[in-house]
Amino acid sequence: MKSLIVVPNRCTGCHRCEMSCSFVHFKTMNPSKSAIHVIRVDHAPIDAPIFCVQCGLCIDVCPAKAISRNNKTQAVVVDYEKCTGCGNCVNVCPYGAVTVDPVTKKAIKCDLCGGNPECVKICPESVLQYLESNAASHYKRMTYANLQRMELKPLIPYPRKG
Amino acid sequence: MVEWHGYKGKILRVNLTKKEVKVEELKKDWCKLYIGQSGFGAKILWEEMQPKTDPLSPDNMLISSTGPFTGTLIPGSGSISYQFKSPATEAWAETRSGGSFGPKLKFAGFDLIVVTGKAEKPVYLWVHDGTCEIKNAEQLWGKTVHETTDRILREIGQPEASVACIGPAGEKLVKFAAIMNDYDRAAGRTGGGAVFASKNLKAIAASGEEGIEAADPDKFYEAVMEASETMRKYFFQELIGGLGTIGLVNALNAAGTLPTKNFATCFFPAADTVSGETLAEKYLIKRRACFGCTIGCGRYAWVPFGRFMTPPHEGPEYETTDMIGIQSLLEKENLEAIIRANYLCNNYGLDTISTGNVIAFATEAFEKGVITEKDTDGLKLEWNNPNLLLTLIGKIAKREGVGNLLAEGVKRAAEKIGKGADKFAVHVKGLEVPAHDPRGESRSFAIQYAVEPRGACHMHPNWAGAYDFVPLDNGLKPHGLPWPPPDKFAETGVKRGVAYKLLALHGELAEMLGICRFYLWGGEDFGLTCLTPKRLATLYSTLTGFKMDEFELMKAAERVWNLKRCFNVREGLTRKDDKLPKRLLEPIMTGPTKGQAVKDPDGILDEYYEASGWDKNTGIPTRRKLEELGLKDVADKLKL
Repeated sequence: MKSLIVVPNRCTGCHRCEMSCSFVHFKTMNPSKSAIHVIRVDHAPIDAPIFCVQCGLCIDVCPAKAISRNNKTQAVVVDYEKCTGCGNCVNVCPYGAVTVDPVTKKAIKCDLCGGNPECVKICPESVLQYLESNAASHYKRMTYANLQRMELKPLIPYPRKG
Repeated sequence: MVEWHGYKGKILRVNLTKKEVKVEELKKDWCKLYIGQSGFGAKILWEEMQPKTDPLSPDNMLISSTGPFTGTLIPGSGSISYQFKSPATEAWAETRSGGSFGPKLKFAGFDLIVVTGKAEKPVYLWVHDGTCEIKNAEQLWGKTVHETTDRILREIGQPEASVACIGPAGEKLVKFAAIMNDYDRAAGRTGGGAVFASKNLKAIAASGEEGIEAADPDKFYEAVMEASETMRKYFFQELIGGLGTIGLVNALNAAGTLPTKNFATCFFPAADTVSGETLAEKYLIKRRACFGCTIGCGRYAWVPFGRFMTPPHEGPEYETTDMIGIQSLLEKENLEAIIRANYLCNNYGLDTISTGNVIAFATEAFEKGVITEKDTDGLKLEWNNPNLLLTLIGKIAKREGVGNLLAEGVKRAAEKIGKGADKFAVHVKGLEVPAHDPRGESRSFAIQYAVEPRGACHMHPNWAGAYDFVPLDNGLKPHGLPWPPPDKFAETGVKRGVAYKLLALHGELAEMLGICRFYLWGGEDFGLTCLTPKRLATLYSTLTGFKMDEFELMKAAERVWNLKRCFNVREGLTRKDDKLPKRLLEPIMTGPTKGQAVKDPDGILDEYYEASGWDKNTGIPTRRKLEELGLKDVADKLKL
C-alpha cells in the first residue's frame, strides 16, 4: 500500500505537476483543471503543492453516490457518469483539494492515476513521492510538524508594503 | 475540434489612443515561417512600424509575445518576451523574462498583445478569459513595482493572476528601465519600461482558465517525459540550479573572466565573499523556479538585519552581483549591499546590468577627473562604497541631479560629458555590456556583442561561451559545428564564424519557441542533456501539428535572425555600428588571463559575415541570402 506525500519545504514552485495532471486526465495543459495545486506566495517563502490526502470526507456528502474508495489503490475516486457537479465535495474538503470544472460540471479530484501518479514522475525536485505507508507517514508527520514550527521573525514585516 | 495546438491562435490588439481593443486571428502561415514569440514580433514590427519612428512616441509599438512552447509541459516554458524599438539603442529591441506572466497570458487566451498609441491618463490592461479591459491606473502612478503588483492583484480580485508592470524609473523614462513581472522577474534590457511609460501604460495583468492542447498528445507526452528525464542530468544543474547563476562568480573568477572595475580587469580577489556559496550560507531562504522549469535558478533571499536590511525577495543573480557589486569593487559587507541594491533596482524597475555599468562608468570618470563634485551634486564618487551605490541607484531612478545624466545610459552620458569619456564607456549600439568578457571567456563574445541586433548582450541570442569556454556542442554537430572547438582565445582562421552562426541560430530558436536559454547547453560527451534542435523539432511537431524537422527549424531561426538584422538596416545601422567598445580591446590588467585582449575584431567579424551571407563591407544581408530565406519582399523594401 502506498501514499502520495510531499517532502516539505523543497518545492520550487514550477507548476509542472499541475500541467502533467491536467494533461494526463484531460489532454490539456491547464492548471485550473488539475487535481493538484501549487500554492506560491510571491512575497513569502511559500511554494507548496496541495493535493487530496484521500481522507474520504467527500464520500458521505455526495448526493449522487458518485464518490467511492478504490480497493486497490485506496484512492477516493469520482464516477463521472454519476457526478452532477453539485459541489458538496468541494465544500466539505478541508484542504481545498477538490474543484468543479466550470465547463463540464464534473468534480476534479486526485485519483492517484490508478496507482502510478504522473505528478511524481514529472516532479524535477522529487518533492512529490509515492511511498510505502510507513515511509510516507514520516513525511506526513514532517508536514504537520511544520505547522508547529516557530517562525523566524524578520525585523521588517512581510508580506511587505510597497 | 480544437483548431490550434500549442498556439492559442489569437492576437490582442490594443490601441490606447482610441481606447480600442480588438482580437485578431493569428495567421497560420506565419507559424512555420516565424515560429512565435520574437519571430512574430519581428514580423509585425517590420511590417507595421514606420522606419525612424521615435521610440518614445505613441507610434512605437509594444508587443508582448509568447511562443508555442510557453505555458506547456516543455521544460523552461515560462517565457514572456517584449519587442519594440529601443529608446536606448534606437534599434531593434527584444527583452525576455521568466516567471508566470507568459503562461498566464496564454491561459487568458492570447499569444500576443500588440499595444499602440498613447493613453490620455495612466492605465493598465487586465487581460482575462479571452477579453481585455483598459483600467484606470492614476492611483498607481509613482508606486513601486511591489506595491503596484500588490494593489493590482487586490483590485482585480484574482489571486492567481500575474502582473507585469513598471516602477518609478520607467515613469521617469530612464533609458534602461525594466518591465517587471511577478514582483521580481525582470525583462530588464533595452528600456522596455520607458516604452511602457511613454504609452502611459503602467501594467498588464493576465489570468485565465483556458488550456493549451497538443496535436498528438501521446507522442508529445512521451517527448516531454524524455526531455524532463534528460534535464535531471543537466550539465549545469549543480551550478545554476544548486547555487543559482550567482554560483558562476567563483567559477568565472577562477577562469579569470569576472569583469571587475568597469572592465579594467577580469579578476576579483574578494570574489568568494559575493559568491553563490556565501549567499547560500548566509542569506538564502529557498530556491525558486519559473513556471515549468526543472532547473530552478531563482534565489529567494533576504538580509534579516543590519544597515542593508532587505525583505525577502528574489535575487540576486550573477549579472546583478557582478555589475553592481564587483564592477564597483565592493569588498566589505558587499553581499548585503548587493542584495539591497538588487531589491531597490527591482522595486524602482531598473535593469541591474545597465545600472551597474553606468555607476562603474561614472566612478571611473570621477577617478580620472573627467567629472568633478560639481557634476555629481557634491558626491565624491569612489570605488568600494556601498552607501554611495545605493544613493546613486535612487538618484538614477528618480532622475535627480547626476542621476539625470546617468539615466540616459553610458553612451549618451559619455557624449554629454565629452573629454574622452567614451574611452571607458563600455557599450555596443548604446546597450551597456553585461558581465561576460570576450577577452577572458571566449572570443565568440566579440562576435555576439558586435552583431547582436539589440546591442551588447550575453544571453541574446545565446551564451556564446557554451561552445569553446566549457566546451559543449549543444547537439549542433549534425548542422556542421566545427568540432573539437578551437582554443577560446583563438581569433581568426578557426571557423569561429561558422560555429557562432549555429550557436546564435540555436539560441534564436529558443527565443522563438518560448523557452529559457538555460536549456540549450549540453555536450555529446556528457549525454547531450539539453534541448538540442532535434529534441525541439520533435516537441514542436508533436505539440503544434506543424511537421518540421530540426533543419527546417534552424532555417526559420535564420530567417528571423536576418529579419531582425534588416529591421536595424532599415533604421540606418550598418557595419560601423557593429563595433566593440575600446575597453574590450585593451589588455586585461590582472589575474589568470592577464594581457588578453581582442586583437583582431574586424577579422573575426569578417569571418562571421561571410558565414552568415552578409556583405562584408556594409554588414547588410545580401539579396541572395534573403531570397534563400524567403525574404524577397524584405530585400525589395531595402532596395538591395
